[in-house]
Amino acid sequence: MDLNRLISYSLRIGVLTSALLSLVGLTAWVATGYPNLSAVSGSGVTGTIASAASGNAAGLIYLAVAVLVATPVFRVALSTFYFARDKDKRYVLITLAVLSMLMFALFSGVSG
Amino acid sequence: MIAVGLTEVVVILLVSVLAGFIGAMFGLGGGILIIPFLTLVEGVPVPLAVGASIVSVVATSSSSAATYVRDRLTNIRLGMFLEIGAVAGAITGAFVSVFLPAAALFILFGMLLLYATTVMIRSRRLDFPSTVFPDRTATLLGLGGQYEEHTKNTVVKYEVTRTPITLFVAYFAGIVSGLLGVGGGIIYVPTMNLVSKIPVKVASATSNFMIGVTAAASASVYLFRGDVDPILTAPLIIGVAGGAILGTRILKLTPPTRVKLAFGLLLAAISILMILKGFNIPVVL
Repeated sequence: MDLNRLISYSLRIGVLTSALLSLVGLTAWVATGYPNLSAVSGSGVTGTIASAASGNAAGLIYLAVAVLVATPVFRVALSTFYFARDKDKRYVLITLAVLSMLMFALFSGVSG
Repeated sequence: MIAVGLTEVVVILLVSVLAGFIGAMFGLGGGILIIPFLTLVEGVPVPLAVGASIVSVVATSSSSAATYVRDRLTNIRLGMFLEIGAVAGAITGAFVSVFLPAAALFILFGMLLLYATTVMIRSRRLDFPSTVFPDRTATLLGLGGQYEEHTKNTVVKYEVTRTPITLFVAYFAGIVSGLLGVGGGIIYVPTMNLVSKIPVKVASATSNFMIGVTAAASASVYLFRGDVDPILTAPLIIGVAGGAILGTRILKLTPPTRVKLAFGLLLAAISILMILKGFNIPVVL
């Protein structure tokens, strides 16, 4: 498969999964009588998944957001592997530079 | 904490379809519509409006890029190269933004974009200049490309020129976008089109491809701060993802001349709002 198809499929799958989880989350919210859900700060990946698995509306939507945010990052990582397989050194370096800065921003929480 | 009911959710869903549509078509995230709508119409506090909006920008970008990349409208090599500048700028911005004079930057960028507006509208009939010579960076990285122009049934070949300037602008756009809350696409598209001579549709598609990455980095910050409200965000994700698919269809069928004219008008409106905001006149932005 060429890079365009790989990127296109991974982005499409990421967004569709996220939209579907959001829809299920909203349905759960409506089914439980529109409770007030306040925004919460990061409860960790496992906590979010556990909460989503139990059918909790907020948990499902936070899982949707997590999948969505991971989608472009996954796309950059995928491109790095693709260029490495093609032995395209310049683009391995370019995508690695982007990926490492992204990781720094994601895990240090600096980027605003 | 805000109370959101079913009616608000349905209204947000409808507005976000429009935001996704415009965002996909013009290479923008759509925050420029979503933030004022949430704060002014729905009375959402600014941090929660920005948090929900930035998550939706990732959805607009990924949904439209999935189509544009498949159709080979996106110049993925150029996008990846410019992402270096954009992401580095976003990180720099997080450190220096408190020292930057926001009002002066609003006026400066507003005036630059107003100038870009006039150039874009005047040059709207010349979207594929035939005498563009690639610079050294573009040659080294093989940035030139081609795309299928459906409205003319032709394949348009293009070269990329003045790449270092566009990379520098991408870096600077990254620095100020966090501060001004306007950024990314509205600066990338005219720069790629007017400085690097990339056809406007390719510029829009490539901008959409790029902004997902910077928005994802910003979104994670809002998420950890607790500024992402689930009931505001869920209808936005669904709405913009759908609207973006619609936007990609329409862009394909619109002649480049019209895209440039429409983008120019949108750019004029936004740059005037930016200048007014810089002079402390209360406006929607």
